[in-house]
Amino acid sequence: MTGPVLKVEGLTKTFGGLVAVDHVDFTLPGGGLHAIIGPNGAGKTTFFNLISGFLPATAGRALFLGQDIIGKRPHEISRLGIARTLQIKSVFNGLSVYDNVWIAAKGQSTFLNPFRAASSYTEVASEAAALLDEVGLADRRDEIAGNLSYGDVALLEIAIALATKPKLLLLDEPVSGMSPGETERTVEIIKNCSKRLDVILIEHDMEVVFGAADVITVMNQGAILCEGPPNAIAKDPSVQEAYLGVPEDEEAADA
Amino acid sequence: MGMFGKLEPMQALGLLGALFFLTAPYALPLVVPDFWINITAEILIWSLFAASVNLLLGYTGLLSFGQALYFGMGAYGVSLSIEFWHFSFWPAAAVGVAVAMLSAVVTGVFAARLTWHYFAIITVVFSLIFFFVAVGWKDVTGGDDGMPFTLPPVLKIGGFELTLLDRTFQYYFILAVVASCFALMHRLLQSPLGKAFVAVRENAARASLVGYNPYMVRLVSFVFAGFFAGVSGVLFALFSRYASAHFLFWTVSGEGVVWAIVGGAGTLFGPVLGAAFLIIVREELSVYWEHYLLVVGVIVILCVAYAPAGIMGLLRKGIDRYRRRPAAAVEKKSADAPADGNRKEARR
Repeated sequence: MTGPVLKVEGLTKTFGGLVAVDHVDFTLPGGGLHAIIGPNGAGKTTFFNLISGFLPATAGRALFLGQDIIGKRPHEISRLGIARTLQIKSVFNGLSVYDNVWIAAKGQSTFLNPFRAASSYTEVASEAAALLDEVGLADRRDEIAGNLSYGDVALLEIAIALATKPKLLLLDEPVSGMSPGETERTVEIIKNCSKRLDVILIEHDMEVVFGAADVITVMNQGAILCEGPPNAIAKDPSVQEAYLGVPEDEEAADA
Repeated sequence: MGMFGKLEPMQALGLLGALFFLTAPYALPLVVPDFWINITAEILIWSLFAASVNLLLGYTGLLSFGQALYFGMGAYGVSLSIEFWHFSFWPAAAVGVAVAMLSAVVTGVFAARLTWHYFAIITVVFSLIFFFVAVGWKDVTGGDDGMPFTLPPVLKIGGFELTLLDRTFQYYFILAVVASCFALMHRLLQSPLGKAFVAVRENAARASLVGYNPYMVRLVSFVFAGFFAGVSGVLFALFSRYASAHFLFWTVSGEGVVWAIVGGAGTLFGPVLGAAFLIIVREELSVYWEHYLLVVGVIVILCVAYAPAGIMGLLRKGIDRYRRRPAAAVEKKSADAPADGNRKEARR
């Protein structure tokens, strides 16, 4: 297959008078870990919401492997091969860790047989078990998801997303609220994922972003400010400006 | 004792319950007047009706105040086919169930788009619409007076005839149908579809992000619930030999909700316990006091406030407490899971 994994053209979302995402053009050529950073309110999560079908776009389109996904609903987009985690961690709280992943792995089936026991799907069961191994939650499999620590919930959510066998994984602040140890482990898991599928990562932890990402896109006020490899982004004055503001004397000089 | 020793306490209780229902027509007359056989049959029918509420409320997370609609459709489906079209027993029963499911599809297309109180309101509105139609359309439905019909035989081979007029056969017929429906529901809940119901109840947004269409899942669950309510309506019409507009009234739906909640929503047999308990309360109390519903009201309030997992939850808690005292070391663990039907899965 040629062509980019994701090609976004003129994607726009307005809430009343507020332009949350402003004519964004974005291309994900595929291969590697792509990070999106930007100050609060830059439109990063709204961008995710648009390409995962959570919000209808005001204008523009987004081609995933050549197919326009704008206007499709979340479950349709999931079945095309995009999985995501949410900024506010979202799992099936009342169910066991294992069932969380099992349900996600089974979610891609077109037919849910009401007369066959769920436990008889050995393939789904081994997929779920393997994913719990991968994220290190194997010994927590019978625990109720709602009783897990915050970091473990985030890992479970990643396992849930991976269980849908995505081609593209969208991670929204996966390490927020994690201890340094948990962060290190999670970054390792994300890096491993990015070897077999495309990952877009929204993250505020700059150490994580600059350590792990191959390409970084910076958003500010709904638009893309710049894009490039980590070392180029780190030196870019417009990025520092977006994060830290314009020094007062320069502002005066501009006026 | 040795036989019970190997069983989990809940399984032992279930076995006792099964034993009771299997022997009721012979065992009950030894201790109580004969009419308790019919009350037990009625408990079975209403258990199935409450189970229909429970499928939506306890597993899919939808509070339906309109299950009486499908109950009434089942009842009218069977009685009209017998009275007007002179169908024999089984085709008439099939018509009743089919009509109930069809009306669940038609109303579900709209209702399944909604959740929470909006869903509760639209289900009650649908059932009220059909109730007023049934009350008004006296020529066909008999309105409030109801429409009696003559029971056709269940089976007739030459001179041999099986009919529900035989009280013992009627009891076992109802038991067989209700038990099959509960077996079907158990199957359903253990299936991938059953898991999808629970996933949508737990977190519809997350379910949609992993590929489930929450609307379709809710609709399918709604139609299955319509099926169970329809079967119970068919049984009740056959049992009482008539159908009435009152079967569709919202108080019938409300009773189903109350039985499911008091028994324990989200557990397979909770509705049986709820229906049994409150019907026995009704039978015993209504003789002495016409305002016995006040007592039922108090029971419901206490249950919702102090035992949200219902009688089933209280039983489990009691057993857990009893077991923890001796031989706690043998038990792998007794996680305090949220009290609902997912415990079993959680233990796996």
